[in-house]
Amino acid sequence: MSRVQKSFAWMRQHWVILIGIILAIGVMTFPIPQITDPQTRTITLDARQFEFAPHRIHINKGDRVIIQFTASDVVHGFYLDGYGIQERVEPGITKQIEFVAEHTGKFRYRCSVSCGSLHPFMIGELVVGPNEPFWRAIAFVIVSVITLIAYQFFSKGTSYEHATLGTSPA
Amino acid sequence: MKRELLAIGIVILILIGLPVGVFIYNRQHTNPDSPERLITIQAAVPEAGGFQPSAIKVTAGETVTLRFTSVDVTHGIAIGPGLGIDLGHVDPGHVQEVSLTFEKAGTYTFYCNTWCSPDHWRMRGTVDVIDPANPDAAPSPYHDPIIEQLVEEGVNIDANTTMDMPDHPQPDVLRFDQPASIEQGHILAASLVIPTELADTEWRLTHTPIEGLALLENNNPSISMSDLINVIAYMWTSDTPPEDIQWAEEYYNKNCAACHGQTGEGNGPAADQTAQSPVAFADFTYMFGMRSDVLYAKIRRGGMGTDMPNFGTLLTPEETLRLVGYLWQLAFKDRPN
Ligand code: HEC
Ligand SMILES: [Cu+2]
Ligand SMILES: [Cu+2]
Repeated sequence: MSRVQKSFAWMRQHWVILIGIILAIGVMTFPIPQITDPQTRTITLDARQFEFAPHRIHINKGDRVIIQFTASDVVHGFYLDGYGIQERVEPGITKQIEFVAEHTGKFRYRCSVSCGSLHPFMIGELVVGPNEPFWRAIAFVIVSVITLIAYQFFSKGTSYEHATLGTSPA
Repeated sequence: MKRELLAIGIVILILIGLPVGVFIYNRQHTNPDSPERLITIQAAVPEAGGFQPSAIKVTAGETVTLRFTSVDVTHGIAIGPGLGIDLGHVDPGHVQEVSLTFEKAGTYTFYCNTWCSPDHWRMRGTVDVIDPANPDAAPSPYHDPIIEQLVEEGVNIDANTTMDMPDHPQPDVLRFDQPASIEQGHILAASLVIPTELADTEWRLTHTPIEGLALLENNNPSISMSDLINVIAYMWTSDTPPEDIQWAEEYYNKNCAACHGQTGEGNGPAADQTAQSPVAFADFTYMFGMRSDVLYAKIRRGGMGTDMPNFGTLLTPEETLRLVGYLWQLAFKDRPN
């Protein structure tokens, strides 16, 4: 067999893997268009001993965020990692925090006023999406798994034949 | 052998050196030779004891340094009345210091102005300033002309309304179904006949907007009721200059909003813990039957077991009047609805 023929034969046998690799590369490099246009998002964020409600906020990159920040027992604070935004609010008052979500990723917001014993655990999470690397990684894993299963499935006959050939000289 | 000796030497050095070092450090920091006294006051939430100590004595003319520390949460430190001292917050592990000389004998109050716990508003301590010439003198009773006048007139400042006073016009509540406009009132005021009493700040201090309205109506029979209400709203809010209103707003937001609410709806987050419901200053109809001097007296004296704190030991009469001015703003200022 010539070289070309050989590789053709290989491809015949292993085409599932080939498709899998192409798909996986596609998943990792395909440019995702901005899913939604930047919006203005108004979020009510209430701080109490010792939690934020909500404790997770999802927004998209480019969104203009308006947080209506309140405290419902004692004075609390808001410090947003990565953005360096800090605010302080007295109970009964609504403080407006405004910014544009320029950085994607997960950022923690925490209380910046020592408000009691569990104060250090008063933490929330701002997710600025679409969180591409994360979803790409998931898609990559799924494609790989499906490829492997499909490969097993399609190449079963062949490997079985090989196995029979190898084990039945008698 | 030599090493053993060295080790023992080091141990002895530590044993002696440490106490000596601490002693010298303390001495340098308290500096007993200096005429200036340092008083350290520890702040904790009222549930855990509040300020320790909660009462200090100084002599008039003496310069003292007050050092505030916090053992639990972030507190705020202010001293009043009339000293204009606000040290900002003191976080656990940090200190705030102030050096001051009390010129006059009397009682001053240091208080927390950061809402640090449900009982925060009870967090206060006193400074007794003693007259060196007459150290045993009881503090002279405080005279407040506005409150004395109220007592003389027999006004009960704990009544929910001053409208049951004799001769007080009874309002037609239906007339107050739409919010007033201070701006409209301002424009209109120039073209109306304003009776002399009504034009007098002192008169307005001791009368309700309803009484003013009745006077205004008699003098301007052809003007619609809603226009008259606008003029009254303007007049009751025109006495406090903008910079005083700004001061009062800040003070209110820090010290009153937790109970009375930022916009005066009476529904702050602490409102469900008070013995009585905090008054809603935004309730325009209610405020039409209120008097400035009664509001003033209530702020200074506080409620009787209602959980309305007294602010008379924290604020000067002028500052209290600024707050009253702000309460009228809350009642009448244009709000989107
Ligand atoms: C801990 C909660 C609390 C705080 C803080 C508080 N109040 Fe009150 N206040 C009340 C309650 C409850 C009432 C109603 C009972 C009463 O009149 O005593 C009241 C009543 C009043 C009244 C009487 C109104 C009327 O019509 O009789 C005035 C005026 C007032 N508050 C002003 C203030 C101001 C100004 C501040 C801040 C400097 C303040 N309050 C802070 C709870 C509070
Ligand atoms: Cu907090
Ligand atoms: Cu405090």
